[in-house]
Amino acid sequence: MNNGCLEKRKKEGSKSSKFGSKSDDFAVAIAKVAAAQVCESVGFQGFHLSALETLSDITVRYIFSIGKSANFCANFAGRVEANLFDIIHGLEELGSGLGFAGASDVDRCVVNSGIVRDIIHFVGDADFIPFAYDVPRFPVVKELKEIGSFQEKGEDPPGEHIPSWLPTFPVPETYATRSSVENEMMSVPTGKKTESELASIERKMERSLLNLQLRFAKNGNEDGSLHGVGYSGRAREDFEGNPYLAAPLHSGEKEVEVSPVVFPAKLSNEASLRNPVPGNVIVGNHVSVLETFASAIDALKSGLCDSDNGTKKLLSTQRPTLRFKIGIGKKSFGTEPDFNSQKDDNEKDDKKRRVETIL
Amino acid sequence: MNHNPQSSDGKHDDDSALSDFLASLMDYTPTIPDELVEHYLSKSGFQSPDVRLIRLVAVATQKFVAEVASDALMHCKARQAAVVKDKRDKQQKDKRLILTMDDLSKSLREYGVNVKHQEYFADSPSTGIDPASREE
Repeated sequence: MNNGCLEKRKKEGSKSSKFGSKSDDFAVAIAKVAAAQVCESVGFQGFHLSALETLSDITVRYIFSIGKSANFCANFAGRVEANLFDIIHGLEELGSGLGFAGASDVDRCVVNSGIVRDIIHFVGDADFIPFAYDVPRFPVVKELKEIGSFQEKGEDPPGEHIPSWLPTFPVPETYATRSSVENEMMSVPTGKKTESELASIERKMERSLLNLQLRFAKNGNEDGSLHGVGYSGRAREDFEGNPYLAAPLHSGEKEVEVSPVVFPAKLSNEASLRNPVPGNVIVGNHVSVLETFASAIDALKSGLCDSDNGTKKLLSTQRPTLRFKIGIGKKSFGTEPDFNSQKDDNEKDDKKRRVETIL
Repeated sequence: MNHNPQSSDGKHDDDSALSDFLASLMDYTPTIPDELVEHYLSKSGFQSPDVRLIRLVAVATQKFVAEVASDALMHCKARQAAVVKDKRDKQQKDKRLILTMDDLSKSLREYGVNVKHQEYFADSPSTGIDPASREE
């Protein structure tokens, strides 16, 4: 009844011991082959797998216990390295259950031990059966690739507080995400994050979206059919109430201080604001991504943009705001927007029409 | 005293026998590979630069496994002989000697290792119970 489950749990628990762990699989496999070979030499023609596994496990434990008792004897004698006598002591301890010749002698000598004589006889009688496979030395020890110190590399440490004998910092490309939009979006993680990490992720998102829109703008310039990115004042006017249009926060600023607007109920949820999923920036309403980042883009325009200002000026005068409608949960950024949502708002109709013209 | 010269000679003999044996171990390659033994000895904390000691442990382990296996073989043969006594026509079929958990646990018991193998596994706690009592 319940014992069955208990035994199963015990079995699983024992699997995680030092002899059953996954890291030991190779050694256990070798032990199985060795035990099978010994069984074959004794006269068996076959075996049950469970029996072989048990026997190989016992083989491994036997070796381990010899080592343990020999090590104990050596340490007891004040030595670090074990010698022959320690091993014979260990063997005698293990063999004492079954008994060996001369076990009862009070003043027996280790050298003259019955166990050693038994082993000598065994070696003399046994057939020479080498192991079936070539076993490499294991476990393989990987050589650590050492990072040189500042002194060794001849670099100056960035900062006076860093001594030159410390190892150098890792290359920025290995930890800073500066690559394409997709990479950035893929790298945005889910789950709980600290505030500072979330703030940095948000900033990265804003930057990546800005890049994407600039790319659209360039494409729009080329074929002339797209409504490009626009920083029209109208956009700002329409969405003053939207917290996402607030200027991006610099480090150290609090969100509350910057945005003077009253947050709508849905959008004031900190958790949703902090949710770093690029496809669904706003929970609930189908608000376009561009709207939310229009002001951010505007703010970043002067600071981060490398592209020509002329294009942007052209865009602001000629093209109206490009508005995307992003579906929640299914669609990634930039895919076909959802037209099926029913909106009574004129704004939303406006958006719809514009999207239709784009497509 | 009186035993001393004899015992010292005896000790010399034993010493030489042991050292000869260790030397001969390098010629005899045990079935259990050195790498495996070294791995588990190092896991247990055993430290020694001498390869002959590793060989000694390998040979001792091989001896132990061989003894357990031969005891299990005896149990297997005894069981087959008992079966053959009852039905002579089975003599041809049961020639193959197979190591089973049953025989292994019997032979290991003598060495102080208690191995109990699960007889069968059931799907649920109420498997095999009378249907009348199962409903309860």
